[in-house]
Amino acid sequence: MGFINGSTSITRFLVNDTLPRNFIEEFPRRISRHAFRNLDESSDEERSTGWVNIMDMFDSQFIGTEFLNDPYVALSWRLDVRRVPGKALKVYCRKAEEELKKREGAEYLSKRQRQEIREGVLIQLLKRAIPRSHTYDMVWNLNTGMVMFGSLSNRICGEFAEFFFKTFELHLVPVFPYSMAHQGLEKEGANPELLDEMQPVEFLEEKQ
Amino acid sequence: MEVLERVRRTEFLGRDFLTWLWFKSEANEGRFDLGELGMVELWFDGKVTLQSDSDQDVETITCSGENPSLREARFALTKSKKVTQAKLRLIVGDNEWSFTLDSTWLNFKSLKTPTVVHDKKDDPEGLFYERVLLIEQPLRAIDTLFSSFIKIRTSPEWGTQELPALIEWVNQGK
Repeated sequence: MGFINGSTSITRFLVNDTLPRNFIEEFPRRISRHAFRNLDESSDEERSTGWVNIMDMFDSQFIGTEFLNDPYVALSWRLDVRRVPGKALKVYCRKAEEELKKREGAEYLSKRQRQEIREGVLIQLLKRAIPRSHTYDMVWNLNTGMVMFGSLSNRICGEFAEFFFKTFELHLVPVFPYSMAHQGLEKEGANPELLDEMQPVEFLEEKQ
Repeated sequence: MEVLERVRRTEFLGRDFLTWLWFKSEANEGRFDLGELGMVELWFDGKVTLQSDSDQDVETITCSGENPSLREARFALTKSKKVTQAKLRLIVGDNEWSFTLDSTWLNFKSLKTPTVVHDKKDDPEGLFYERVLLIEQPLRAIDTLFSSFIKIRTSPEWGTQELPALIEWVNQGK
């Protein structure tokens, strides 16, 4: 599911900042620098994020300007997360704690010792965990500045806006009714301050 | 003002818009003239969520069903509830879209577009442009309708014509 296949969900943002003059040369470098990289099996990182081809989530080799379909920049933002199930972590920690107690002939372990065991076990188990992959499509119209993003989650949208800024050094401004109305009134030459005086409409029958 | 604070303070705009849109859709028998986009049909399509504006004792009502008149939802309007989410159907010529619109962000949820003709393998570029065009069309339609709402909402006609007609329609739901 996404912008290319099936049904989709869309949150909109606006890029108000001016594009760099040399964006045609600049963007490939920036996108390539922030392309998706698989989580290394030997690493203890929990997540990896980056750009992939909107047509193929396994393609993160940006050689030219394949992401540019004039006037759109089209990419997918891929997020891989690997997690250790809470119960599994508990079981393995308990086992490691028992082994340490036995080895040291101790009856109790200090909080610090238990914390160290937990961290060690977590790293070991993370290396064995299989990542879950998610992709969120993004289409950015360079003429209008409108960015369509394929998620409605506030958390994902927030993370995406940060990642977008990290890549392009351009701010994403959320689009919502007030901002749309403000922009619309400005365009019409009307006073947008009219909105600030507005109150919710009372739909109930007017009292005689 | 922080964006989220602004969103919270002005979220009535989206609710008022969706409620007005429902009224206009019924009053115009679904037909809207959207200028450049031409004549379109827009229908409330079987699922509506309503909530009161007040921050206290918030009650959410969701009505769904096959009956296009959505009588229970119409009745909720007479109890100071407003539309916070609605499933809509947009028809332009032979093309048809369905989506759920939310009042807080005017986000599109579960947007279904007409079937595409281009093939991913043979013509990925053609497919991309076709899909983007099909996704942008309902967005543009809703933007145009929202802009019409704001225009009339900030005009003197709001108090003299539009609001009395809207109140009458709401009260017909009793």
